[in-house]
Amino acid sequence: MNPEPFLQLDRVIHEKGRLAIMSMLAASTELSFTEMRDALNMTDGNLTTHIRTLQETGYISVTKSFQNNRPLTTCSLTASGRKAFTSYINLLEKIIQQNKPK
Amino acid sequence: METNWAAEHLQVIRTLMERSAVYRRALAPVMILNGVLGTAGSIIALAVEIDTPRSFILYWVGVAILGLAGSFFLVRRQALKASEPFWSPPTRRVTQAMLPALAAGGIITGIAYATMGSPGIEAGLIRGVTASYVICMLWLPTIWIILYGCAFHAAGFFMPRGMKVFGWALILGGCALLAIGIPDRYHRLEHSHAIMGFFFGLLHLAYGTYLYFTEKRRNET
Repeated sequence: MNPEPFLQLDRVIHEKGRLAIMSMLAASTELSFTEMRDALNMTDGNLTTHIRTLQETGYISVTKSFQNNRPLTTCSLTASGRKAFTSYINLLEKIIQQNKPK
Repeated sequence: METNWAAEHLQVIRTLMERSAVYRRALAPVMILNGVLGTAGSIIALAVEIDTPRSFILYWVGVAILGLAGSFFLVRRQALKASEPFWSPPTRRVTQAMLPALAAGGIITGIAYATMGSPGIEAGLIRGVTASYVICMLWLPTIWIILYGCAFHAAGFFMPRGMKVFGWALILGGCALLAIGIPDRYHRLEHSHAIMGFFFGLLHLAYGTYLYFTEKRRNET
C-alpha cells in the first residue's frame, strides 16, 4: 500500500469538526454562524475555535455585520479554501482507488 | 480498513454538503410575479364577467399555468446568472416536497371539471343554485388554497423559515373560509374571483414585498 496520498492529506481540513465546516461551506455561497452551529451541533466555543483556525489558514472568510440590530457572522469559502477542499476530496478518492481489490 | 475510512469520510462530506445546500434562490420576484398574476387575474375575471363554473375552472387553471411558467423562467434565469445548474439538488427537493399537494389539487380540479356537466350535479340545488356553482364558489377555491398552503409548508423544510409561516397562513385562511361559508347574498361567482384574488394575489404580493426587503438586506450583509 502506498502511504503517499495519506501523508498528503491537509491536516487543517482533516480534523473532524473543520472538515464538517468546510463541507457545508463548499455547498453554499455563505452560511451564518448559527446555521452552522445548529446543523453541526457544536458549541459556540468549539465552532469559534475551528472557524478561527480555518480563517488563519486562509481557507474561509468571515464577515461580521448586523441584521435587525443583531450581530450576524457569516462565513464563506475562499478560493484557496475551495482548492484545498477539492484536493482533499481527490486524495480521499485516490486512497479508495488504490486500495480497491483487483 | 483505510479504504473504509476514506469512503466513510466521503459519505459524511456528501451528507453535509447536501444538508447545507438549502434552496437559496431569491423568492421575492417569484412571489411578486404570482401576486401580480393573481390580482390581475381576479380583476380581469370580474371585469369580463367569467360567470360559469366551467369557465371559472378553465380560467384559473390558465392563470396557474402562467404563474408556473413565469416562476420557472425566473428561477432558471437566476440559476444561469449564478452559473449554477437549474435542476440542482435543492431545487429537486423543493419540487418533490411540493408535488403531492399540487398533484392532489390538479386531480381534484380534473374530477370537478369532469363531473360538472353531469345531470346529477346540474339538477341538484343547494340554497337555490346548482351544485356545480357551489363547487366553484366554495369548495374548489378553498381546496386550492389549503393544498397550495400544504405544498408551501412542505417546501418550507428546504427553504427559509418564513415559507412555512406563509404555508400556514394559506392553510388556516382556507379552513376559515370553509368554516365561514358563503352567505346567501354572495351566491355568485364574483365572490370566488375575489377570494382567488385575495389569496393568490394580494397575499403573494404582501409576502413578496416582505421578501424583497429582507432578502435584499441579507444579500447586502
